[in-house]
Amino acid sequence: MRIHLVALTLAALPALSAPRAWAQTPDVAAIVDGHVLPHYRALASESAELAGAAAADCAPDSVQLRTAYGDAFDAWIAVSHLRFGPSEADDRAFALAFWPDSRGATPKALGRLISAEDPVIASLEAFQTVSIAARGFYAMEFMLYDPQFASVGDADYRCSLVQVMAADIAGNGAAILAGWEDGYADLMRQAGNDTYRTPDEAAKQLFTALSTGLEFTADTRLGRPLGSFDTPRPNRAEARRSGRSLRHVVLSLRALRDLAARLSGGDAGLDAAFARALQRADLLDDPVFAGVSDPQGRLRVETLHQRISEIREHVSSQLGPRLGIAAGFNAMDGD
Amino acid sequence: MTNRRRFLAGVLAAGACPRPTWAEAGAPAFLSAARASDGRYLLCGLRASGEVAFTLPLPDRGHAAAAHPVHPLAVAFARRPGRFAVVLDCVTGQEIARLDAPEGRHFYGHGAFSPDGAHLFTSENAYDAARGVIGVWSLASGKRLTEFASGGVGPHDIKLMPDGQRLVVANGGIETHPDAGRAKLNIPLMEPNLSFLGLDGAVLDQQALDRPLHKNSIRHLAVAPDGLIGFAMQWQGDLSDDPPLLGLTRLGETPMLVTPPKAQAKRMMGYAGSVALLADHNEVAITSPRGGLAQVFDTDTGALKRSFDMADVCGVAATAQGFVLTSGTGDITHEAQGWTTSHALQWDNHLVPV
Repeated sequence: MRIHLVALTLAALPALSAPRAWAQTPDVAAIVDGHVLPHYRALASESAELAGAAAADCAPDSVQLRTAYGDAFDAWIAVSHLRFGPSEADDRAFALAFWPDSRGATPKALGRLISAEDPVIASLEAFQTVSIAARGFYAMEFMLYDPQFASVGDADYRCSLVQVMAADIAGNGAAILAGWEDGYADLMRQAGNDTYRTPDEAAKQLFTALSTGLEFTADTRLGRPLGSFDTPRPNRAEARRSGRSLRHVVLSLRALRDLAARLSGGDAGLDAAFARALQRADLLDDPVFAGVSDPQGRLRVETLHQRISEIREHVSSQLGPRLGIAAGFNAMDGD
Repeated sequence: MTNRRRFLAGVLAAGACPRPTWAEAGAPAFLSAARASDGRYLLCGLRASGEVAFTLPLPDRGHAAAAHPVHPLAVAFARRPGRFAVVLDCVTGQEIARLDAPEGRHFYGHGAFSPDGAHLFTSENAYDAARGVIGVWSLASGKRLTEFASGGVGPHDIKLMPDGQRLVVANGGIETHPDAGRAKLNIPLMEPNLSFLGLDGAVLDQQALDRPLHKNSIRHLAVAPDGLIGFAMQWQGDLSDDPPLLGLTRLGETPMLVTPPKAQAKRMMGYAGSVALLADHNEVAITSPRGGLAQVFDTDTGALKRSFDMADVCGVAATAQGFVLTSGTGDITHEAQGWTTSHALQWDNHLVPV
């Protein structure tokens, strides 16, 4: 009987080894070097360009400034799922990207600064003490694209505000990159430290970044403007003033697709799910989700949401278990 | 519904005889929501031995329950953002009443009875204003009588204090809106607190954590007969910080925060699921479903007394000797008596003493 069992076990081995080979622990070092660092380098360099452009010409309608702003914002969206480690130190990521702003804190904070001509903007160091709602890409969008903020108060003050905002963005972009290059990347690459005790823990962090990034894009970037059928909320679309709402969905999906491919070792099914969502986004032709208010346009945005839900389902039901990350009934409940 | 309400009024009416008691519901020691293997959602009564005393169907995934202080009635709450709470007769299995959240409100999944059981206090989200409120419901009529402010954003657990005159509310601080699912909308600005309220909503005391801990969402509560409060937290900041996940306090005092040993802190991933107090032994237990770990600390010193591994553990309740724990894999374990029973059920977040 015992011999029989051994024979059975051996016979079963080839069948078992096939999916196992497919389910290797992801190469965390390769993901850090091929996904995380290049994206954060791009953020640092694009945000430095933005600071330079603002210093050269602070006019809200300056083509150079708006182009630099768009490039830097693009670079942020491509890392907006990598919310751990250096991005969270000193609330740097929140200072770059205070959104959603459910209570309208950004226009309020900006209005207060401008109407009082608060001298706190005179130095970068002082500006870094103001509410994060008045800092970063979303606050800068008001200054460049909102007609009210492009003309309110004193023009010189607004100019200085735009310049210090850009410098602050550049400072945070550089600080996050430095955090990665000066230690955090090694913590992930060489697990066995207080932050990542094992390579599995580092892989789990990256998996969490993938799944929360998908969740944010589906539930917040799309869910906020979708609202409910009876109360659609097109005014809640992300960065709608600069016409970037759909662009952000596409950029985040592209970045998440790259991370998913690396984490899954090239899972073709998962990649195809991303391709379907991106194709749907390309067909949408609704840059700020204005269509959520009419039934047909709404259906198209809901379909995009559904495609992202399908990616999430694939990630949680297939990729997670393959990486040994079981979604426990309570463990992932979050309540 | 009218008939059911009349029935409930009869059940609750003073002098109505014979009045059913918890003994007639199979004398459960605890309540827990669960998911059955066929995907149905249930509310279960559990005996002290870990046996199932009864199972009642729920319309959707439950979260916590509240046991009536006198009669064998349980209120089961939907998981947030839930719109319903059902009042169940644990003897007959009948749904006696359904509490529907009014327009613009949803339940967070917890509630507490008044000392006589006539009223139920529920933690709710007034989501368009992102304001936490406590709904006050009449059990006899199934109607919502009034509401008052919870003292913060995102109220979650709510418990009656032992004097029967006050409530303690865990305002988790996190703003959500049902339109955006469970997405958290205000992490950089969140300000959780523990609020002590009169039964009329008067704010008696509020305790907040120091600013560096403002991303530590105070979620779940345990109250000892002497008024000691244990609170379990869920960290929303960076996981390399190893924040405290347990606090102990009393009305009018400053919380003592308990940080687990480093290796265990890493496993917990910033998340404590439930908390229970065993006052006679100066013990407090928290569970960590993400770490598959439960810990017992000394309530006086905050020192770790013992810990044990249990996959997907979340529910915990005190018994005369030690703690009972439940898991999403179906196990019920008594850590001090050393027994485990397994069920073809996934136990949901909380184990509520009857």
